Amino acid sequence: MLFSSTLIGLREGLEAALVVSILVAFLVRTDRRGALRWVWLGVSIAVVLSIAVGAVLTYTTAQLSFEQQELLGGALSIVAVAFVTGMIFWMRRASKSIAAELRGKLDDALKIGPAAVLVLSFLAVGREGLETAVFFYAAVQTAQGGTSQPLLGFAIGIAVAVALAYLLYRGAVRFDLGRFFTVTGVLLVFVAAGVLGYGLHDLQEARFLPGLDVLAFDASGVLPEDSWYGALLKGVFNYSQQTTVVQALAWIGYVAIVLTLFLRPDRETRRDTAPTAPATGSASTVKE
Amino acid sequence: MNVSHKSIAAATAAALLLLLAACGEQEGAADADASDAIAVKAGDSSCEVATTTAKAGKLTFEVTNEGSKVTEFYLYGEGDRIMGEVENISPGLTRRLIVDVRRAGTYQTACKPGMRGEGIRGDFEVTGQAGAQQDRGGHLAAATRSYKAYVDAEVEKLVPRTKEFAEAVKAGDVERAKSLFPVARTHWERIEPVAESFADLDPKIDGREDVLGEGMAFTGFHRLEKDLWVSGPRPDSARIAEQLVADVEELASRTRGIELTPVALANGAKELLDEVATGKITGEEDRYSHTDLWDFQANVDGSKAAIDALRPAILQRDARLPATLDTRFAELNRLLDKHRDGDGFRRYTDLSRQEVRELASAVDALGEPVSKVAEVVAS
Repeated sequence: MLFSSTLIGLREGLEAALVVSILVAFLVRTDRRGALRWVWLGVSIAVVLSIAVGAVLTYTTAQLSFEQQELLGGALSIVAVAFVTGMIFWMRRASKSIAAELRGKLDDALKIGPAAVLVLSFLAVGREGLETAVFFYAAVQTAQGGTSQPLLGFAIGIAVAVALAYLLYRGAVRFDLGRFFTVTGVLLVFVAAGVLGYGLHDLQEARFLPGLDVLAFDASGVLPEDSWYGALLKGVFNYSQQTTVVQALAWIGYVAIVLTLFLRPDRETRRDTAPTAPATGSASTVKE
Repeated sequence: MNVSHKSIAAATAAALLLLLAACGEQEGAADADASDAIAVKAGDSSCEVATTTAKAGKLTFEVTNEGSKVTEFYLYGEGDRIMGEVENISPGLTRRLIVDVRRAGTYQTACKPGMRGEGIRGDFEVTGQAGAQQDRGGHLAAATRSYKAYVDAEVEKLVPRTKEFAEAVKAGDVERAKSLFPVARTHWERIEPVAESFADLDPKIDGREDVLGEGMAFTGFHRLEKDLWVSGPRPDSARIAEQLVADVEELASRTRGIELTPVALANGAKELLDEVATGKITGEEDRYSHTDLWDFQANVDGSKAAIDALRPAILQRDARLPATLDTRFAELNRLLDKHRDGDGFRRYTDLSRQEVRELASAVDALGEPVSKVAEVVAS
């Protein structure tokens, strides 16, 4: 009872926490602490907005129709993919510049506008924020109705997600820079691919896209979402146990294109000081 | 690149905020309070829905997970179209699903313990009319309340006036009875659509000799009208008068419990004008007494009362319609005023052809915007 609520909290919080922590680590490592306030502003706006709209949906008879909800979720996800993809390529350029030790040029190469930082943090948190807020209110109401287990579990899950993200941040700050960018970049490629698939699935549920019933695979027996490893996979990579063909194709296509672009050797490296070949660190470096 | 990033970002953020704000403001129709909620008990291998039928409109499901697995709850329409879903119902948790179902038909509820598979399905019947009415600001509810108060007040007057009229008949005071006849009828005619909804009472109280059904006795107002104006009081006039009072009292007690809808108000307003056009303007209604104009005025009053009650709701949906209605009502009332005579009206037979035509065209002119009201109110 407690455990399954914990998993839900962990799952809902993990992706947002990871993206934000990578973004923070990235800004800290590239001496752009000034931009951090935009991160926290974006996160705050998303949290406040989610809580406010969640309250409206919980305590009044106002509601979004199912289609509206899914269209909103789907559209937000796809916009989020665009921003995370942008971030991936900023990181790629950063790793090249850093490897080339062009500290002076770093700032020019990495002009990330405050607005972009703000929107990225906003989307990372806000994408699942509304659903999470509504879940939270339901847990609170259930707690008033006698059992606080779901609320407690949910809080523990969110806390664990934040703790994991913090550990990742700590590790990232200690990492060798070039490797940090490569590893987190690859991680983000998979995160973004998952978000893209998730967004398309939402659009299918809203009947905006066809093919909701055409499944690529159904792994609910082997890798159920309500197991701890399933929840982790879903939290980080938006794994879904019943994946539609559209979802799967989008995921494969995105990973194939973006990962190739991200890892391709840089032809513009004019320096001979070859960068330490970025060992493609596996995701196992992420503390689990 | 950088510039465009910034502007795209800012635009996106602004759009999202607007979108969310707009969505949050969507107000629902009827109050979906917890007492209307349909309780769903979801177990690991069960899905107990408290009721499997509901009226079209906003449905609220309160789903409580009593099992050990995380569950989801869905409402499916035709071809497994998802009407609404609520996910992440962890054990012990209660979550709410509000779905606006506008079309009657067979739907399916489904609990999905473990969030997988087709779920535990059950049929769910939705009945009633399509298109649940939106009542932003509660104007429709206020309209029915206000018109109900008008109907109640008219019934309150109808009973004593009818009694006075019946007393005069029983006392054989023909002149007094004649003067009270159109007064009592005024309160009947003002609420005619409501009164006529009681199919058994209407012919007994207001039946005309020529349109009574097979085997029905000629009783009520028009029977006494004939006695007073044509044949003079008859042996059974007193009994008919007593019967009339009893029927009117029965009508009064039934009217207290009547439930009106905004559309019924609008249709009633139109029916009253049709009554005028088909009965009063032709002089058929009160063929012995020729007090048709009293009934005419009463029908117009009743129609106007319904429209006035609906005014805020009409204004909300069609800004120009109320002004049109006002001018046409005023025009018709101005024409009627020309035929006033003391406390009452001239006899129908004293009107010239021209005057009748004027009245008829004013009724037609008013009927046209009034006939739009039902549709406007239902939108």
